Amino acid sequence: MNQSTPHLELAHVSKRYGSLQAVDDLCLVVPRGAVYGLLGPNGAGKTTTIRMIMRITLPDAGSITLNGAPLDDRLRERIGYLPEERGLYRKMKVLDHLAFLGEVRGLTSGQARARAKAWLERLGLEEKASRAVEELSKGMQQKVQFAGAVIHSPELVILDEPFTGLDPIATRQLKDEIAAMAASGVTVVFSTHVLPQAEELCDVLCLVNRGRAILHGPLAEVRARFAQPALRVETPASEAELRVIAGVASVRRRERDYLVEMTPGATAPQLIRALAERLPLVAVEQHEATLEEIFLRAVEDDHVSPR
Amino acid sequence: MFRLDKVRTVMRREYLSRVRTKAFWISTILVPAAMIAFAVLPSLIMSRQGGTFTVALLTPDEALAAEVEAELARRSEGPASAGLLNIRVEWIAPAPDSERQRAELRRRVLAKELTGVLVLPAGVLEGEPVEYLSTNVTAFRLIGRLDGAVERAVLRARLRLSAVPEERLDQLTRTVKLEPVRVTQEGGESREAVGSSFILSYALTFLIYITVMIYGFYVMRGVLEEKSSRIVEVIVANLSPTELMAGKIFGVGAVGLTQYLIWAVLAMNLAAPGLLSLGLAEGASRFLSPTLLIFFVLFFVFGYFLFATLYAAVGAAFNSEEEAQQMQTVLSMFLAIPFVLMFVILNDPDAPISVVLSLVPFFSPMLFFLRMTVAFPPTWQIVLCFALMSLSLLAMVRVSAAIYRVGILMYGKKPTWKEIARWVRSS
Repeated sequence: MNQSTPHLELAHVSKRYGSLQAVDDLCLVVPRGAVYGLLGPNGAGKTTTIRMIMRITLPDAGSITLNGAPLDDRLRERIGYLPEERGLYRKMKVLDHLAFLGEVRGLTSGQARARAKAWLERLGLEEKASRAVEELSKGMQQKVQFAGAVIHSPELVILDEPFTGLDPIATRQLKDEIAAMAASGVTVVFSTHVLPQAEELCDVLCLVNRGRAILHGPLAEVRARFAQPALRVETPASEAELRVIAGVASVRRRERDYLVEMTPGATAPQLIRALAERLPLVAVEQHEATLEEIFLRAVEDDHVSPR
Repeated sequence: MFRLDKVRTVMRREYLSRVRTKAFWISTILVPAAMIAFAVLPSLIMSRQGGTFTVALLTPDEALAAEVEAELARRSEGPASAGLLNIRVEWIAPAPDSERQRAELRRRVLAKELTGVLVLPAGVLEGEPVEYLSTNVTAFRLIGRLDGAVERAVLRARLRLSAVPEERLDQLTRTVKLEPVRVTQEGGESREAVGSSFILSYALTFLIYITVMIYGFYVMRGVLEEKSSRIVEVIVANLSPTELMAGKIFGVGAVGLTQYLIWAVLAMNLAAPGLLSLGLAEGASRFLSPTLLIFFVLFFVFGYFLFATLYAAVGAAFNSEEEAQQMQTVLSMFLAIPFVLMFVILNDPDAPISVVLSLVPFFSPMLFFLRMTVAFPPTWQIVLCFALMSLSLLAMVRVSAAIYRVGILMYGKKPTWKEIARWVRSS
């Protein structure tokens, strides 16, 4: 297989529900072995996009390919999928349930049981193996479902909002599992609206808003391209006093400091010198924009721009 | 896509997860218990209800009153098992003011001094009707007894009027007993205990009815559970909706057959002595004939598949049990139609109306089978019946699979009839 062929590709995919354009001419390119973040606010079209990849709903227009071949029911079996809304048979025993999911995904019953046991051990749930699913906490159920999604060792895993409802320890555990899968060459696509999580995990991302991709590319590239250089300034001076200094494009007041964005062409040393000459400073440092800031701005710009 | 190994995986899960529940074992015990209760208890209780009743006889003819009393006394020497009906008679001659007398009698009935009043008019021998005044005119057994006694007393009085000698009266008024004898399929004869034929036909048909309904309902609930808990979405990547539906229907059906097997074993070991004591043994042995048992299972299987596919489609089309309730009620009523028509068939199993009704595919599992228990239909009808059921089943599977495929993954709003029709057409 050609290494440069994207693992998963969506080309000009659209989906409309009544008067709502849920996904609008969306293009995604997921490289092989990447951890791909599908990001965006609630209602941006992330879940609809994922449901189209899983062929739960079919796109009105556009094409979806896996390894360059049009995705059909047979190819779909190579994808591990964790839906946003969790579903398990409540009365079934945990081990039986995992084994059932394994068999449904094509393992023999022996294989399925062995892997189910291994996964329960790995997730620290081996003592719950013969409990009914409904006796487990929500977080535990979610772990079981995650194991069920990847029990057949798929080459591509799609996780829709995998971290919602998890406590910090479980979140850590799931992040480690995702990192481990990525290390073993599995491609992971996950959606989230919690950006720090994406920042920590993904190497390629796409920001979706109102059904369209408004930012996409490798994380570092997106950062370099879209983050405006800025300084974090701690000073007793007022916002107005900051604003009039040459090289300052905008000032945002935060709890303890100001975020000062620079005009194009201005450099950090110049601006720091100018600030130090005019105002009393407590601290100044260069600020690296978080994804959140980049996205907030991008989403704001998107809403300002006409469609 | 339809892969048998996937269907088998789903089927095994459905089967095991149901057979392992307490509910399965409870229903295994409760259904036959309920059936026996429905079929046997009312008549059993009625036949054992005896007591003492006081009935006034309003007639100018004292001799006739005495005759009625004598008849009632004679009849109460019947079998001891049927609870004793002890009827005391009080003769009252008509008063000049008949209106006032009648009002007074009504008062006594209301005061419970009298169970009822038999009004024998002067012209009763000429055929004038007899009235019975009581607060309860549905006491069938008591009224039946009074009716018989008056009938015979009047008959004897008429014979006396025609100068028939007293000693010949008993002989002339002797009742005739009619004994039903069945001509069997093999050309022989079979005498059956009264009612056994009816009770067993009814019981087996009822069994098909109740199991098809219960298991159809299980299928619907299972589908709704998968849909509302979004399990479908978890497994849909590796399982087509059709495979899921087939696995579920087969699995639940296998549970039903298991239950039948348990009942059959129980019936042979436990119920047979019970039937003997009820005097139903002769009928029972005919009912336990292998041919009929095979057809019984066949009709269950066809009935189950016909309705289970329907129930599965209903489950897939709606989002919750509350939403599906309406459709489910319609289905249960539809299922009850043949049950209501049972009496038409029992009355005349080979009449054109019976033949036509029993050949309607959705009715066949109950009505055609019922006909088999009463009078075995000709071979061409059996072949036609199964051909029609098979064809409808194929059509049902297509329609239901289409609804299922789309409905199972649709959330949110209730689908309209138009949309459902479109799903079916687009398949």
